[in-house]
Amino acid sequence: MHPFDRAFRFVLPAAAVAILVTILSVGWLTEPDRFAKGYAPEQPIPFSHQLHAGTLRMQCQYCHSGVDKSRHAGIPSVDLCMGCHKVTKADRPAIQKLARIAQTGEPLPWQRVHTLPDHVFFDHRPHVNAGIACQSCHGEVQTMKVITREMGMRMGNCLACHRDPHAALPPGSKITRGAENCAACHR
Amino acid sequence: MKTRLPDHGPVEAPRFWRTLEERVETPEARQAAHDEFLPGAVPAYDDVHGLPPQSGVSRRDFLGLVSAAAALAATVGCDRKGQGTVVPYTKRPVEVTPGVANYYASAFQEGRRVYPVLVKTREGRPIHLTGNDEHPGVRGKTSPRAMADVLRLYDPDRLRAPKAEGRTLGWTEAEARLHGALQAAKATGKPVLLLSGAVASPTRKALLADLKAALPTLEHLAYEPAAGDAAEEAARASYGQSVAIQPRLAKAKVILSLGADFLNGEDPETLAAWGAQRRLKSAKEPINRLWVLEGPLTLTGTNADHRYPVAPSRLAALAFALARELAAKGLPLPAGTDLSALAAGFSEGVDVPAKAWANLVKDLRHAGRNAVVLCGAQMPAAAHQAAHLLNAMLGSEAVALSPAEPLATTKDVEAAVQGMAAGRYAAAIFWDVNPAYTYARAAAWKDALAKVPLRAWVGLMEDETAAQCQLLFPENHWLESWGDYSTPSATVLQQPTVGTLYDTRQGEDLLLGMLKALGAAPAADYHTYLRARWEKAVLQGGTFEQALHDGLVKGDPKTASPVFKGTSVAAAAGRTVKGSEGLELVLFPGFAPHDGRHANNSWLQETPDPISKMTWDNPVAVSVQDAQALGIQEGDFVTLSLEGTTLRLPAVIQPGQAKGVLALALGYGRTTGGVAKGVGANAYPFLGLDPTTANVRPGARLTKAGGRKELSRTQSHHRMEGRDIVRSLTMDEFLHHPQGHHHQPELVTLYEEQKFPDHKWGMVIDLAACVGCSACVVACQSENNVPVVGAEQVAKGREMHWIRIDRYYEGELENPKVVHQPMLCQHCDSAPCENVCPVNATNHSPDGLNQMAYNRCVGTRYCANNCPYKVRRFNFLEYTAYKTEPETLAYNPEVTVRPRGVMEKCSFCVQRINDVKIRAKGEGRSILDGEVTTACMAGCPSDAIVFGDLKDPKSRIAQLVTATRAYKVLEEVGAKPAITYLADLKNPVEGGHHAN
Repeated sequence: MHPFDRAFRFVLPAAAVAILVTILSVGWLTEPDRFAKGYAPEQPIPFSHQLHAGTLRMQCQYCHSGVDKSRHAGIPSVDLCMGCHKVTKADRPAIQKLARIAQTGEPLPWQRVHTLPDHVFFDHRPHVNAGIACQSCHGEVQTMKVITREMGMRMGNCLACHRDPHAALPPGSKITRGAENCAACHR
Repeated sequence: MKTRLPDHGPVEAPRFWRTLEERVETPEARQAAHDEFLPGAVPAYDDVHGLPPQSGVSRRDFLGLVSAAAALAATVGCDRKGQGTVVPYTKRPVEVTPGVANYYASAFQEGRRVYPVLVKTREGRPIHLTGNDEHPGVRGKTSPRAMADVLRLYDPDRLRAPKAEGRTLGWTEAEARLHGALQAAKATGKPVLLLSGAVASPTRKALLADLKAALPTLEHLAYEPAAGDAAEEAARASYGQSVAIQPRLAKAKVILSLGADFLNGEDPETLAAWGAQRRLKSAKEPINRLWVLEGPLTLTGTNADHRYPVAPSRLAALAFALARELAAKGLPLPAGTDLSALAAGFSEGVDVPAKAWANLVKDLRHAGRNAVVLCGAQMPAAAHQAAHLLNAMLGSEAVALSPAEPLATTKDVEAAVQGMAAGRYAAAIFWDVNPAYTYARAAAWKDALAKVPLRAWVGLMEDETAAQCQLLFPENHWLESWGDYSTPSATVLQQPTVGTLYDTRQGEDLLLGMLKALGAAPAADYHTYLRARWEKAVLQGGTFEQALHDGLVKGDPKTASPVFKGTSVAAAAGRTVKGSEGLELVLFPGFAPHDGRHANNSWLQETPDPISKMTWDNPVAVSVQDAQALGIQEGDFVTLSLEGTTLRLPAVIQPGQAKGVLALALGYGRTTGGVAKGVGANAYPFLGLDPTTANVRPGARLTKAGGRKELSRTQSHHRMEGRDIVRSLTMDEFLHHPQGHHHQPELVTLYEEQKFPDHKWGMVIDLAACVGCSACVVACQSENNVPVVGAEQVAKGREMHWIRIDRYYEGELENPKVVHQPMLCQHCDSAPCENVCPVNATNHSPDGLNQMAYNRCVGTRYCANNCPYKVRRFNFLEYTAYKTEPETLAYNPEVTVRPRGVMEKCSFCVQRINDVKIRAKGEGRSILDGEVTTACMAGCPSDAIVFGDLKDPKSRIAQLVTATRAYKVLEEVGAKPAITYLADLKNPVEGGHHAN
């Protein structure tokens, strides 16, 4: 067989397939949604949103009080937890741990579930103030025993809603579109 | 680039020029004008950071390896871990909402000057400073150095715990040693020396008085090496006391500056008044006129309507001659003034042409009470006294005199040094001063200080003096301290805006500890001491909380205005004549380091000097004539010698500098500090010991030393081909032809018209109000996390400033006119950069911003090449990633920190726009005019920059863009910039076009 024949019949197709497989597998494996979705790390305190937001029907903003004032919704400070838990379920080991933290001031490192890259400046305020429910992005939090990421939090997710937000908005809202320019989030 | 000055005769040259190279049109300059990046700015690929020059790996191999490694890393690194943690407060402070900035009023002191400031803090850390808008004087403005001082809080060189003989120890132990020495001194009656900076704080003054009562042998000197001894000497001679002189430019119609650089950015109050008088809507409004007689070219000189280069030693004679002429024209002389003494040393028509002189006399006579004569702090005492005399004769209302705390002059420090050498002192304490560096005779100082048994030092960063002391006490930064200051219109309160970062205390607390050890029973800490004094003496019914909120208590402390003593004139006039050989060396505090205290601040080191555009260096400035005579070219190393002191340093040729005058900045050549060490040359050894003329030294010699230095200077970059970039009008032109021969080009475009549905952000920059002080540059640096690149990178043209101030010369080399032009991204509607970006990383927003998505940028630099304004800056190297705490704490968390390989530029502070937009939307209202301010606008002390919504017809900016002086830079290119400039105004006596 002529060396060119061999090259065209076997080596090139094999190389092409190998390259294709590499590209596809890298693409599949690096697809953030594939991993981010369903991410539910173990937290230092086994806090249940199902109990607090679901069963007890506590408002999200009772704890995440920065959400309409700040870019960040904020994680409640330990003394806010202790407002109830000084008395409530004070005998549970997790609450005792919480009480110890409140007393000593040692850091309470909650595991981040919803993160965005550093070059994204998402702002909670306009979304919450427009009446968009927390669940639109964070999933049915009130049913989650362990907080779990439901959305990939990719730019596509943002833009899909910004281009057609009616599903997320409360009925009667006059908003028809969200910002689509770069500087709305990147600066 | 070598510059040869024209050998003879006038040359055919462009009307406006920026560098000597451009003026004489060297071939290199012509080439550089065509290129976006300087030779060397674009690296050879091996040259890039991280790749050793001879790595033996070709670029292609390297890229292959990198992509293989990346693919591998991508497959292996697909891990859901590492999303990070989020740590809440244990107890959240009530006023803190993470993500929302808090603002606190505080104050900063530099020399005698006090800056009431508003401190922006995020999650408890100060990140940005502006002026306190409650203060009736500064009205929300401050100085570039004050704004940059937030960086010093996070300086990694700060001393973090007390030290003795190089060993770290606890406060108790360190204080015990100091207290022991003081108690012994009290018992033996031996004097103790305390050297501190100027005392502008009434409570600190009270505390010092308490200390003096407890330790009667205490000798306190307030030492400000760059404040200008001559000014202090002259005030004592003219008024019999120390005097603070504050110009009131709002009342001035005619201003004569005798080397006074009152527009240099240090004095926001004066700049505001200047801007208000220069931002004219019509040519019929009143405008002031500024006459400047000065040696080196200063910012004030560049803004003059008439400027004449005069050697500083001749200023006094000129000013006294002026007084004589005004007296002859009928202005009353103060009692006791001897008219005959004023005649000496003046020959008409030498420094100032006879016609101009007559005009100046007429102007001053005519303006009377609305004229003011200001004298530069560094000028000889006789010139100051002449200025005092002139103001007294004019009865000037445009200057406020108030008694001030006396400062020690070199004479006093000299006496202290002799005392130390004689073994007079039991102990010496240095508080926020660095005499080992700033005292002119460093060797004598060192020998004398070694004879003091206990030497204690209190300060922020270990400096030259700390190296000579045994006990080192680390001090709080002022943003961690309490304090107060008296200013003419209010008593200002300084409050800590952050807890102490390290084991430090404020100097006053150390003093309180000393008081206690000496048997007095003072307050537990300075906060308590200060509060008690405020409640007794300052608050007058108001609450301390209100004072904390406002940062001040308004009120004019009624003090008798000092009265000019006519009898002082004769002696001063006698000092005016001085024959001298050689050149006259003028020493002035550097724009960036001031007296050296800011030398470790990289923001300031990299802010170009407003005149020479030098960064990271203090070359000696030589006049055009002297450079020609001595054969000196730009960047040549020269040897400067004066009375046995010699220094080898580079020279720059300064157009407009008086013949026979050399100018050299103080504050450089430090031997300590991670940033400051080795930057520039130390000029303090040249400082004279005669306080009447310490900063003006005749008899200097300059010779070529051989060799050249590549100057880290920004002015040669960003040229604009001598087109119609800056416009400068006289009042006549403003009235009759504000657009002159410039006609509106008819613009044809192939591009679709941009649509702006809601807002169209724009900016107006009034060149008549802009003085070139560079406050905007520092404000932008702080707000937008603009990286510092260092001297070597600046020399390659890689500085990263988003806003720069282009300085254009016009006319004669020996005395050019100057126009300053802030230049930043013009946010063009048809932006040339947007069309060439291959990845659409830069594009237009619906509210008129030219937006830049860093995460999309791949670094082709096409956009920079296609930008007609040369405002795009490229991260050639990794300028930020190596930074760690505490440096990173100074970042604004609302702005991305850009990595290597990314293009960046002015964003119109889009983070501020977005924030206001979101807040307004949340409150269900539209954005108010003036609600969005960019950092440069907020920082501009003369209000030359106005930002706003062009779609709002009632906005301030919408009205300004229709002004007759309005023009757009390079309008003919058709880029449709969103920034409108208003032409510069000059108000010469003959309203014709720059009669020269």
